[in-house]
Amino acid sequence: MAVRSSLTDSAPRTGKRLKAGTVKLIKQNIPLMIMFLPGLLFYVIFKYAPMGGIIIAFKDFNLRDGVFGSPWVGMDNFVQLFNQAQSLQIIRNSFIISILSLVVGFPMPILLAILLNEVRKMAFKRVVQTLVYLPHFLSWVIVGGIVLSLFALESGTVNRWLEGVLSEPYPFMYEKVSWLIIYLGSGIWKEMGFAAIIYLAALAGIDPHLYEAGSIDGANKWQQIRHITIPGIGTTIILLLILSVGKVMDVGFDQIYNLQNAVVSDIANVISLYIYQIGILRGQYSLTAAMGIFENLVGLVLVLSANYFARKFNQGLW
Amino acid sequence: MKPTTGEKLFYGMNYIVLLLLGLSCLLPLVHILALSMSDAHSILSGKVSLLPVGFTMESFQSLFQGTRMMDSFKNSVVITVVGTALAMIVTVLTAYPLARKYFIGRRFFLLAFLFTMMFGGGTIPSYLVMKSLGIINTYWALWLPALVNTYNLLILRTFFVGLPEEVEDAARIDGCGEWRLLGSIVLPLSLPVLATLTLFNAVGFWNSFLSVLIYINDTHLYNLTVLVQNMIQSQSVLQEVVASQMMQADDTAQITPEGIKAAGIITLMAPMVIVYPFVQKYFVQGALLGSVKG
Repeated sequence: MAVRSSLTDSAPRTGKRLKAGTVKLIKQNIPLMIMFLPGLLFYVIFKYAPMGGIIIAFKDFNLRDGVFGSPWVGMDNFVQLFNQAQSLQIIRNSFIISILSLVVGFPMPILLAILLNEVRKMAFKRVVQTLVYLPHFLSWVIVGGIVLSLFALESGTVNRWLEGVLSEPYPFMYEKVSWLIIYLGSGIWKEMGFAAIIYLAALAGIDPHLYEAGSIDGANKWQQIRHITIPGIGTTIILLLILSVGKVMDVGFDQIYNLQNAVVSDIANVISLYIYQIGILRGQYSLTAAMGIFENLVGLVLVLSANYFARKFNQGLW
Repeated sequence: MKPTTGEKLFYGMNYIVLLLLGLSCLLPLVHILALSMSDAHSILSGKVSLLPVGFTMESFQSLFQGTRMMDSFKNSVVITVVGTALAMIVTVLTAYPLARKYFIGRRFFLLAFLFTMMFGGGTIPSYLVMKSLGIINTYWALWLPALVNTYNLLILRTFFVGLPEEVEDAARIDGCGEWRLLGSIVLPLSLPVLATLTLFNAVGFWNSFLSVLIYINDTHLYNLTVLVQNMIQSQSVLQEVVASQMMQADDTAQITPEGIKAAGIITLMAPMVIVYPFVQKYFVQGALLGSVKG
């Protein structure tokens, strides 16, 4: 039963032995196929069937006629989307919020990892790590609740502290700029630590001799970070950047849903909220499916082009 | 080598910055905990910062008596335990064949699965698929679509590929079939990565929010996440609780919406925070496994 060797031996030789090898190969595959079946069904039903369901974006879908029976309407849904002031605003908001999250949020874990990497007291490092990883495991409902209890107008803790400084409480959650800052800040707060883990691993892979040589040559701390640390984790940075570029239209539902309110909806209304409120709650399936496709296609194109550019510098993901 | 003044300054600043960051993650949670255990008067007058003032567990009491907290806690446990078990079984069974060189169609399936990480049908088509399966308003609508997380699948497959071939070959020579090979050789060697993925799945199911909003209409089936969210966002739920408590109690000033909200957040957070220190080493390991994906 030395399977691997017998296969490689028999394959290139006579037809008869090849046939025997094929039979053996198939026999060997039967248990594997049985194991594989549930997973395969999962991908067919829950990943690829919805992709087929995209056709409803080109139809006037109603529940009675179903996906296949509903009448075709061509690009009507897309035309409607791109002619509505509301949906254009939603696309714009999604774009602005996620670009800002990327620009402000992406460097933070890198910075944190570099700082943690410079810590010499291991106990201190472990305690800080334990604390900064924790928020990743809390749901946005918890983080949203904490944010509200800190920044609420009437009962918020921050406004209580500011009572002496300001004449009246500041509406943190109701001013666009302060809301946006709180939105971005809470995202960074929640994910910065966990995202730093991967950079810490990359940092651990840098040869310590480089630092020794650097400091002998008179490089100061800043120069060492600039010329040894950052190039050392360059590949990891680019890899993660490509992946996050693909999410540029995708403002996560949980975060926005738990932080938004009616007053800031001009800026906080994004694609994922729209799909839930108009699609799921009000049953406008075709229109919101069209929005979903638009979002996903933009994401796909962005990932592919980011990878294309990275490949030009031999840093591609695939 | 002796550190220069500049370096000393750098290290000093570094410790301060990191200390502040660490505290920024801890203190808001402590503050909420303090709020949940303080009496109404202290909360309303803004006396509570990091320690409870006028210690009382009234907020928790009225929370568990006046709302469906207990039921939705049980719901959350069911969703998490069953969902995690199902997901782990299917993920293992899918990853194992994909790690075998002689599995027919291995490359094709891998690419087909990878593609789903970059493109998908989206919320609405998925919803319609669930609807046609008739599993709306059952927990199957939460469990089935989360059976396999492609990222976790790749982590596990990479780990299986990296296991030493000699052990497996030896087992095969002894007449070990694929199922026994998986059960008695591969899985025991993979316990750390299995622990990591179990943790990731459990966190995901415990925190499930959007999927409950979309697929579960019956409020009796709500999990803790959605119930607490309803409490935070809508004052009506809270007022109901406060009113029902006022009716029966003579001292009216013991509870306030703020305190009950805080108690809700703490209840939702508690299992995570209690388990967290014990599993920390596993998830660090898991995040690292992701970095060597193949």
